[in-house]
Amino acid sequence: MFRVAKATFVRNTLVMLRAYPWSFVIGHILAGVYTVLFAYFAYHYVFAGQLDSRFQHLAGTADYLSYAILGGAFYAFAVSTLMNVSRSLITELREGTLEAVLLTPSLRRGYFLGNVAQQVMRTVFEFSIIVLIGALFGLNLVHTHLWSAIAVWILSTGAFFCQALVLGSLMLRFRDTYITQNTLFVIMAFVSGVTFPTPYLPEWLQPLGAIMPLSPALDAFRQCVIQGKPLVAVAPQLLHMAVLSLAYLVIGMWGMRRMEKRVVESIFA
Amino acid sequence: MLIVENVRKVYHVKEKGSWLRQQWKEVEAVSDVSFRMVPGKIIGLLGINGAGKTTTIKMCSTLLTPTSGTITVDGYDAVKEDRFVKAKVNMIAGGERMLYWRLTGRENLHYFGSLYGLHGGALRSRIDSLLLQVGLLDAADTPVERYSKGMKQRLQIARGLINDPSYLFLDEPTLGLDAPIARQLRKHVKELAVAHGKAILLTSHYIHEVEELCDEVYIIDKGKLVAHDTPAQLTQSLNLETALHVVIPALSASLDLDLHKLAVRCGGSREIAETDEHTWEVTLRGQTDMTTPLLSLLAAHQSPVLRLHTQQPSLEDVILHMADRRGA
Repeated sequence: MFRVAKATFVRNTLVMLRAYPWSFVIGHILAGVYTVLFAYFAYHYVFAGQLDSRFQHLAGTADYLSYAILGGAFYAFAVSTLMNVSRSLITELREGTLEAVLLTPSLRRGYFLGNVAQQVMRTVFEFSIIVLIGALFGLNLVHTHLWSAIAVWILSTGAFFCQALVLGSLMLRFRDTYITQNTLFVIMAFVSGVTFPTPYLPEWLQPLGAIMPLSPALDAFRQCVIQGKPLVAVAPQLLHMAVLSLAYLVIGMWGMRRMEKRVVESIFA
Repeated sequence: MLIVENVRKVYHVKEKGSWLRQQWKEVEAVSDVSFRMVPGKIIGLLGINGAGKTTTIKMCSTLLTPTSGTITVDGYDAVKEDRFVKAKVNMIAGGERMLYWRLTGRENLHYFGSLYGLHGGALRSRIDSLLLQVGLLDAADTPVERYSKGMKQRLQIARGLINDPSYLFLDEPTLGLDAPIARQLRKHVKELAVAHGKAILLTSHYIHEVEELCDEVYIIDKGKLVAHDTPAQLTQSLNLETALHVVIPALSASLDLDLHKLAVRCGGSREIAETDEHTWEVTLRGQTDMTTPLLSLLAAHQSPVLRLHTQQPSLEDVILHMADRRGA
């Protein structure tokens, strides 16, 4: 499995460097930077530094800029992971290499692990740049509990990977990437607490946020970075993320197996 | 040995309908097909109306699951034990798919080799040997997007051999290739069977290719096997006509009449056409060999023979004959 993962990691890195030398990475960084700028301008020029009295209670902090900048950076990280993993098989289909991959006895686990590992390498770079730029615009990192934040970041990668399997199955089912992924990303941005705490949402919409791994991941990460809480203090969020991950993993693996067969059949039918 | 027994494949195809109320119909692509692949032999799968060949290959290579029937490869079930089967088979398709265009030829083979569990020095030496075999060693480190069609096809062959498969499926492998490259490829395929003991199943629209390479041919029509034999036996079994072409400098009325009588006596037919060189080409078609009586007749008329050749019925004639018969 690890050899397959390593080979897929190397292949993806080579293809990325040759196909999208910098534009792909810059595009992702810019999306995060725009969120940072949006938060900065909105806070200073729209709210004039005035926050709703409920914000501190709901967000656990009065530092809106750190809250929104971390939200933007983490959202960019989630989107990158989801996109990279979920699009892998449909990209093989479009480029005519899916059959060659399915012909081999390799485990799909290794294939996806290679995809996610390559993506993590890229995301670490993108995330670091966004956080550095965020620091220039008011992101406060002085209280950060570093190891807890890193642990949450790693666990979140796993959770987004599991969600990506379900998204990938849907993409194969509908033979579409743009509508499927963009619909999910817009919903995620709105219901997962990226720029405002989810209790601000209407009650009927809040359950949608609860089924997105981004919500507990972001909540835990903010607590570790902004409030400097240790990992044990965010155990409820981690448990929430673990339950969602397990559910997405089971549905995603089942869906992927089914959709692979369906896609191959539909090509020849 | 690869054994296909009573295999059937039914597809569920979407019919026109509204988005909410879709209708599905069943299409039987392969019906009760059985055959065997033996090491060192090339078998051809020819289709009338193009039905079922590719589906059969995809089932044998584990990409598709048969609706019923069994496929076993050296005792392993192709559905239940597909990972063992995948290690023993590979497929090469015509066209320019199944390769990563951004990667070099060497990187492609390295990736696919890794997916088959190969690694280290063994993988590197296998890649070098395959690149040498298909004549791509000099272009090994060039991205595939810069390869010509023929080079891509040769790399596909190397990819198809990366796991040293015992069973190889070739689906239209020379599709769109220039004649010299196609000829080279045919030579290579023959060598794989004869020298390396691979069992090969070939489908091709170029019937002369099947005739040249295959030890046995299966003819499939609308998903059913309708004939199976060696190419020679298939042509003989249908008693198709042999054509005898002779070119003579002049054609008198009496010779024309005698040629007609000869054709009728042998149960055949004759055609006469004037050539561009103002000579006459006489074609006699029949199920019996008319060479000796024709030569006697021409000698009796003191007619010189400028050219003479016999055209035996080909596998293409068999296919066309069967298509006509089944279409009738």
